Amino acid sequence: MQVGKWARSVLHPILGRRAKGPSFIDVFSKFQTILGLNNKILDLMAEMGDKLGGDYIFDKQYIRSACGQMADYVYKLIYNLDTIAPHKYLGLYDAFSKINSEIEDELEGKIVIPESELVMPYTLVSRDFSDVVGAKNANLAEIGNFLRVRIPEGFAITTMAFKTYMDHNDLWSQIKPLTDAWSKGDMKTREVSSKIQTLIMKGSLPADLKKQLRKALEGLAEDQSRERLFLAIRSSAWGEDTESTFAGQFLSLLNRPAENLFDAYKEILASAYSQNAMEYRRERGFSEQEVVMAVACQIMVDASVSGVMYTLDPQDPQSEVMVVSATWGLGAPIVSGETAADQFKIACEPPHEVKGLKIIRKARRMVPGDGGGTETVPVPDALQTKASLTHEQLTELAEHGIMIERYFKKPQDVEFAYDSGGRLYILQARPLNIESQTAKLVCDIPSTLKKAHALFSGKGDIAQEGIGIGKVFLVKNDEDLERFPEGAVLVARNTSPRFAKVIRKAAAVLTDVGSPIGHMATIAREFRVPTIVNTGIATRVLKQDQEITVDAEENVIYEGKVKALCYYEFVEEPFEETYEYRLLRRILKKISPLNLLDPLDRKFSPRYCKTFHDITRFIHEKAVEEIIELSYYSPKDAKAQSLHLELPVPLDLVLIDIGEGLEVARSKKVAIGDIRSVPMQAFVRGLLSPGAWSTEPMSVDFGGFMSSLTRTFSSSLATPRYIGQNLAVLSLNYVNISLRLGYHFNLIDAYVSENINDNYAYFRFLGGVTDLSRRSRRARLVGEILTMNDFRVDLRGDLVVARIKKLGMEEMKEKVKLIGILVAFTRQLDVQMVNDDQVDRFVEVFKTLSADKGTMQ
Amino acid sequence: MEEVSRTSILILDDEPIVCKRLKSALEKKGYEVEIFFRSADAFKRVSERNFDIVITDLKMEGLDGMTFLTEVKKRSPRTEVIVITGFATMETAKESFQKGVFDFLAKPFKLAEIQDAVERAEKKIKEARSKTA
Repeated sequence: MQVGKWARSVLHPILGRRAKGPSFIDVFSKFQTILGLNNKILDLMAEMGDKLGGDYIFDKQYIRSACGQMADYVYKLIYNLDTIAPHKYLGLYDAFSKINSEIEDELEGKIVIPESELVMPYTLVSRDFSDVVGAKNANLAEIGNFLRVRIPEGFAITTMAFKTYMDHNDLWSQIKPLTDAWSKGDMKTREVSSKIQTLIMKGSLPADLKKQLRKALEGLAEDQSRERLFLAIRSSAWGEDTESTFAGQFLSLLNRPAENLFDAYKEILASAYSQNAMEYRRERGFSEQEVVMAVACQIMVDASVSGVMYTLDPQDPQSEVMVVSATWGLGAPIVSGETAADQFKIACEPPHEVKGLKIIRKARRMVPGDGGGTETVPVPDALQTKASLTHEQLTELAEHGIMIERYFKKPQDVEFAYDSGGRLYILQARPLNIESQTAKLVCDIPSTLKKAHALFSGKGDIAQEGIGIGKVFLVKNDEDLERFPEGAVLVARNTSPRFAKVIRKAAAVLTDVGSPIGHMATIAREFRVPTIVNTGIATRVLKQDQEITVDAEENVIYEGKVKALCYYEFVEEPFEETYEYRLLRRILKKISPLNLLDPLDRKFSPRYCKTFHDITRFIHEKAVEEIIELSYYSPKDAKAQSLHLELPVPLDLVLIDIGEGLEVARSKKVAIGDIRSVPMQAFVRGLLSPGAWSTEPMSVDFGGFMSSLTRTFSSSLATPRYIGQNLAVLSLNYVNISLRLGYHFNLIDAYVSENINDNYAYFRFLGGVTDLSRRSRRARLVGEILTMNDFRVDLRGDLVVARIKKLGMEEMKEKVKLIGILVAFTRQLDVQMVNDDQVDRFVEVFKTLSADKGTMQ
Repeated sequence: MEEVSRTSILILDDEPIVCKRLKSALEKKGYEVEIFFRSADAFKRVSERNFDIVITDLKMEGLDGMTFLTEVKKRSPRTEVIVITGFATMETAKESFQKGVFDFLAKPFKLAEIQDAVERAEKKIKEARSKTA
């Protein structure tokens, strides 16, 4: 493929593929439109995200008009890409239509159940699937898969299965009139509830669902090697176990034989319309259209002791203790509040000292019945007054609790069980509501803050509000990202969409440079990770492993843990339970998340665009690609006048000014001083940096190195006569340069303006002719130098692609200048690259060169 | 603070979320707040008693906000009206101010913005009171 490109680029003056296409100026103006739209979309996305923060009062009308605006921008974006790359990415229209019609359905109040399998094993589920499997399943599978906490094996019966069941039995049309009548007060809850439940129980499972359930059960049976399979079957509805817990509103069936699964499934669905559940929804402002039920299906844990743990005492959060209730056998009686239990208070801080315990007489316990179901039996005398948990078990529990709390960034209500083998299972984890205590806590903040030591404050821009506490972890490259520890504060020089991989693990994110409306900021918002960008000093001031508190509300970074802030974060705004909040949040899920992260990934295509953000990013990347491609093939444009740049080095460079890139031309020759284009100026400054191009010795070492090169590789050889025209298309803020120097092909595409979000520089370096090992050595050298200078570099054989985006104008100029130096420098390197040591040596030489601040003057 | 001096506010918006959130935010600041989703109900209420401040949306089903605020000002010229609207145009803003509206906020707005507008309106009312007193 690279050879193909190379050949085409050599042949392009003859072939002129685009000779009859739109003019470069036209295409470039479309490109600028795309950049403009791209910015507007990111702005609007950020603005909509802001509304979830709680500061704003907005209504459905706002959501509707913002969505309309967004759809309009994205559609225009697709249209504009299509005009510069006709019919190349038609799949974008499909992606757009799908996303947009889902958003419109949401706005009309229809439920939008995501397309998915009917059944999903826990091993494939993560928190991202909460719309597919319900929050209960999603949270549990997430901690099982991600935190490697032991959870019961099982699978989720998805919301799609629910939809299939409802459709199959034509239930929607029968339920709607009933709930409508109930909402209007024409029917009693008891009557409506019983009618709907009967309708649901009378239905039958679609064949496909039965088939998938049987298959999932076989999977479980294989792993268990038990004769008969008994299951715990629980509700996992939309909204359940989130800010509104719906605790105890729906059904849980314990110890059901696997062969009864189909009926049990129907029972759980029916419980969505229990009287309690309906009243709860009415009270909490949930619409009846929001009833969507996924089901959790788990192997029944043979529990010897079970219980519930609150990772923070809701009665007394300041005491910093966890509360554990436990009893012999199954935990259901504790959860339902039927019986009293042993109570333990453990310190949140390691080593989790036991602060208090209340052991009661436990005369009876619930156990799984032999043929299924549960029964309550007497507890042997010796156990009745014995503590149900040992000290070791309490410590183990506390460690799990803290880990889960840190992961979900909220105190947790955790159900657990120890099986007869003494193994701890987490059965459920959901956010713990400690609302009632918050007001008191808020008042404590000012006094605590006085004592805290601020490392810096007021630096940079808050991208996502919130409080994060953790140890500093400096990220310099992709390997650092791989090693990123759970709960650390990500500190980096630049923002990067690559952080998306780890951002959910981060307690907070701080960067030296970057924009609060960039890609990464949007991702941070999606995961609600407190983020401050553009601090200027974070990487310098903060030390690896230093414990800090990031207050991304007041914009202060404190040394150590500031606990009062930590509690403040727990304040649960009832606002988050309003219908509008949930609607906007659901819609934003179709807008903001970024799934297309890596342009080199196979899935970087319209087919995999799941959100407007995906489409936007895809188009941005492709538009840049198009403009670069175009400049390969249409070097001459009738409308743009080509002029020659006079340079003090032997380089014949043609300039095409497409808008304010040059002072008014007096002749066909342009002097360096006539360049107005910001990136072109920077590039030329780099190209002409002392020592970069010229053969005059810079230092003894470098001189020796250079003279050895010039002997075998004279600059006259670099005359591009027979290789092709060197071309720069430029405007005031843009430049696209194609250079063939010696055997190297360089392509530079950069936009540098006052608007940080538009700015980018793209550098492509491709060599040829010599043997592959030498070529790739050279590519490695170029790659290393660029990486050292914060570029994102992709190496493929002898092709180097480097990108850098969204830096301020001055920094951007430095980066483009560096490319200039590099172009001049590498022009000299070629057949000399005979061994690997030279790579390091040349990197050193280059450092000396680029450190020199001298300019062409 | 004496009961008498509490500033009374009527809020009219057909989107319940706006009323609910404004009510809790303003009650926290010590105001006495009544909310209405339908202009007819609000209209009935202002004919029963005067409010210090009226916060109203402009576009609603039935009696629209402009007519409502005109009525309010006619009945009780001292009542300060704050308009909140999602369809903010120069024309509507101009018309509102001509009718003696105190402030005009485009939706969505920040809680702090409306609280500030209310504080300023309250200040104006108190100044007017002390002059007449």
